[in-house]
Amino acid sequence: MKILTCFKWVNDEADIKVAANSHELIFDRVGYKISDYDRNAIEEAVRLQEQHGGSVAVVTVGAPAAKQSLKDALSRGPGKACFINDPSFVNLEPSQTIAILADALSKQEYDLIICGEGSSDLYAQQVGPGLAEKLGIPCATNVNKLTYNEGNKEIIAERKLDDCVEVVTVPLPALVTVLPDINAPRIPTLKQVLGAAKKPVENVTLDALGQNYEPRLQTISVLGATMERRHLKFGTEPADIKVIIDALLKEGILA
Amino acid sequence: MEEEKFDVIIVGAGPAGSTAAFLLARAGLEVLLIEKGITPGSKNMFGGRMYSHALHKIMPNFWEEAPVERPVVKEILTFMNGSQSVSMDFQDVHWGTPPYHSFTLLRADFDAWLAEKAEEAGAMVACGIRVDELLIENGRIVGIQAGEDRMLADVVIAADGVNSLIAQKAGLCKKFSPKQVATGAKQVIQLSEETISQRFKLSGNEGVAQLFVGDCTKGMHGGGFLYTNKSTISLGLVVSAEALQHNQYKIIDLIEDLKENPHIAPLLEGGEVVEYSAHLVPEAGLNMMPQIFGDGILVAGDAAGFVLNLGYIVRGVDFAIASGEAAAKTVMSAKVNNNFSKQGLSKYQQFLKEGFVMNDLETYRQAPQFMANPRMFKAYPQLVTGLMSKLFTVDGSPPVRLMGKILGQMKQSKIGLTQLAVDGLRGARLL
Amino acid sequence: MMAGIWIFAENREQTLELINAGWNLADELGVNLVAFALTEQLAQEYIKYGTDEVLLLPPLTQEQPLESYVPVIVEAARNADPDVFFIGATKRGKEMATRIAASLNTGLATECNAFALDQEKKLLVMERMIYGGKAVQKVVCTTRPQMATIPARTFELAPLQEAKEGKIIRLTAAPPSPVKIINRNSKVQEAVDITEAKIIVSVGRGVEKKEDIALAQELASILGGTVGCSRPIAEELHWLPEEVYMGISGKKVKPDLYIGLGVSGQIQHITGIRDSKIILAINRDENAPIFDAADYGIVGDLYDVVPNLIKAFSNVLKI
Repeated sequence: MKILTCFKWVNDEADIKVAANSHELIFDRVGYKISDYDRNAIEEAVRLQEQHGGSVAVVTVGAPAAKQSLKDALSRGPGKACFINDPSFVNLEPSQTIAILADALSKQEYDLIICGEGSSDLYAQQVGPGLAEKLGIPCATNVNKLTYNEGNKEIIAERKLDDCVEVVTVPLPALVTVLPDINAPRIPTLKQVLGAAKKPVENVTLDALGQNYEPRLQTISVLGATMERRHLKFGTEPADIKVIIDALLKEGILA
Repeated sequence: MEEEKFDVIIVGAGPAGSTAAFLLARAGLEVLLIEKGITPGSKNMFGGRMYSHALHKIMPNFWEEAPVERPVVKEILTFMNGSQSVSMDFQDVHWGTPPYHSFTLLRADFDAWLAEKAEEAGAMVACGIRVDELLIENGRIVGIQAGEDRMLADVVIAADGVNSLIAQKAGLCKKFSPKQVATGAKQVIQLSEETISQRFKLSGNEGVAQLFVGDCTKGMHGGGFLYTNKSTISLGLVVSAEALQHNQYKIIDLIEDLKENPHIAPLLEGGEVVEYSAHLVPEAGLNMMPQIFGDGILVAGDAAGFVLNLGYIVRGVDFAIASGEAAAKTVMSAKVNNNFSKQGLSKYQQFLKEGFVMNDLETYRQAPQFMANPRMFKAYPQLVTGLMSKLFTVDGSPPVRLMGKILGQMKQSKIGLTQLAVDGLRGARLL
Repeated sequence: MMAGIWIFAENREQTLELINAGWNLADELGVNLVAFALTEQLAQEYIKYGTDEVLLLPPLTQEQPLESYVPVIVEAARNADPDVFFIGATKRGKEMATRIAASLNTGLATECNAFALDQEKKLLVMERMIYGGKAVQKVVCTTRPQMATIPARTFELAPLQEAKEGKIIRLTAAPPSPVKIINRNSKVQEAVDITEAKIIVSVGRGVEKKEDIALAQELASILGGTVGCSRPIAEELHWLPEEVYMGISGKKVKPDLYIGLGVSGQIQHITGIRDSKIILAINRDENAPIFDAADYGIVGDLYDVVPNLIKAFSNVLKI
């Protein structure tokens, strides 16, 4: 099986601070990571390959600085990486990422593309199905169980939806988006981390794609979501508990 | 599957480990640098300042590319006692020009950069990996084990910080006792670059290092510190672990009190806490030093207890870097004869002596004991502030001349002349 | 070339909510309000709730999933060139909307929870949460149609307009979809809807084992409340059903009182509980982010605190 798996290098939302007065976001000391659910996608791809043979290539779109993500991604099992990068690939909106990936991958051979459910920064949940549509391949989203039926060259996917669990067959080549409960991503071992440095990385630049990728969504503003709370802290003494209960009574919370 | 073999495996990508890795990789050896944090520096912490000499020797003019915060030009020592404080303020403007006496730094940035230099020089760096075991054959360290993976090496350098698991597993030392370590905790507080420069009366990008002694540690052995970074201030305390255990204080409460202290609060006005961290600090100097070399193993940095705290000077990073350099030299000389036994690595002591690490630690061997003198943290600060108060107060009460003021204050602080003389002489000799 | 405000949702309720959302907009822009319907009956109904035109989707065979409608919808949109297209943000709805947007080469705002019309530019300024809910992003779509998926219950149901008349257009059959259903199991609906609960006791990772949820249940029952949790408790550990996990990708609740037991307070979870009137948190770790989101925070071991809370509440409520 030739599998492609996509991930996004995102800032760690836990590190983002909100300025007290202007509510602007402060990214000063923000760390970066492979988006949480994409780790599940990579893991699923590698598991399928370990079961059925073939190859896994990990793909990402980003600015040149995102190069540092490749070591992490490769240490999780894929055999090679495809790094589609350009300095202008910052703050891309989903339709741009979709278009870029579609152009880059249309020239590649694959049986299955596995994406995460959504990225931890924007959580637009668009790249997976949008990419499938552009590539003209079928897709199954919200998958938490995946089986490869080699004989029929199809996958059987269990989709966890709002009101039901739907089991579908999807002929390959196809794309799936997976839910975080599909697997537990492995913690790379020392040998896997060291091995990552030796794996090949294909660099795809904007020139190679030969296009401009104009955004369709324009961001007007991004401001911290404020929530006023009292932030009162207490210990565990009976006196503390009494204060809290009295306050709740006063608020009319307790019937 | 065959086990991979390196010339050297270094555990811990802090200043000691990364320096050793850099030098050894540059000399052409196969080096593996293993770090348990996701990135080097993510698990490291210090008060805030590195003396430049050690790194400048290895990487001349490192400040041109290293992520440093401010060069320190002003050293302030402050005695605190309630509403009163006395500060000695020393400034050398030349320290604001190359070779820059010392810099404030942020470890997450600096350590990551230093490890990257090691990687550029050819070292393999593996992050997010914890070393679980040492591989020992016939009493000789031959490698490490992380999870299921075994890696062999001629020599392992334990640079994994205070309470080095590796040094313990090698049988070189036991866990440090609370007597030998302090708990350091700090908050990083955000202010603008201009605000910091204005409040501390600094030109351009210059910085301040301030140490506090007195009621900030509520009589316990330790002190407070304040370092100015580019757009943040590192404010914290180092308190003897034994004393903290003994009393009921939590260091986080002590830091909150420190922030509200009338002598400090105005400096922090409008600032927002962006980070809180705590770590153990080796305190006992040479007296806590474990065996620092054995068959197939060297110990460097905080793992070897290479920290010097004289109260008015605190040094850890330059020692770590210099000891990393000494470890690298040791390995290179051992490689000549392929002798990595304890005997073959014994040159480590010599290399440490040649640098300043051993000499300085030896010179100040008695300092930690002296610094543990309880009078340092309560009576003497009180003496100083009380005396200055007497000197400066004009309130209509009967005048007393200087000598009278001094003696009066000593009586008030319950310090005899002899005691003062003894402590003073000892201090001058030992610190 | 204003050709309407279009609406598609997987179920009746959400369609009525989106009809409500689109009604004033259609009015202001002077265009038709158009909705997709899955049955003739619903088509008639949607007209009575305010749509000018209903596009009736052809029935699907047993093995065709709802997403098979995408090409039909795309073709209809290509022909009519709507100005705005709202789709109900169910899991299927989000997939369909994305595929439709990709086929139409337009932009899509996912899970838009509010919008306002820029009268001058005739552009919708759409709001959505990002960074786990830490921030609000405002976007406009500069291409046609302007698309957004809208979560359930963002809008109230549209009011009935008995006298309203409208047109029903039958769309042609959907091409066979390569994706085929081989099985479908309906989910058992939970008895209690946590989004309606007035008091919620929430279980986080600080709760050490599944059996300890009984503690949360005891506290909830004294208070007449419901037990809920953060995502990992439901999705990874399966200690509680998914219907009760609160967060940006789970349920959004608005109780009078939320009590978090061993909940660390990651932003994704906080986003689901931010409309709680009062948040009380119990956690061993004084640095846990939940304390930044709480009104009352108890730093302590929940295994000590909760039994004491239960006792104290019992006394006060005279149980």
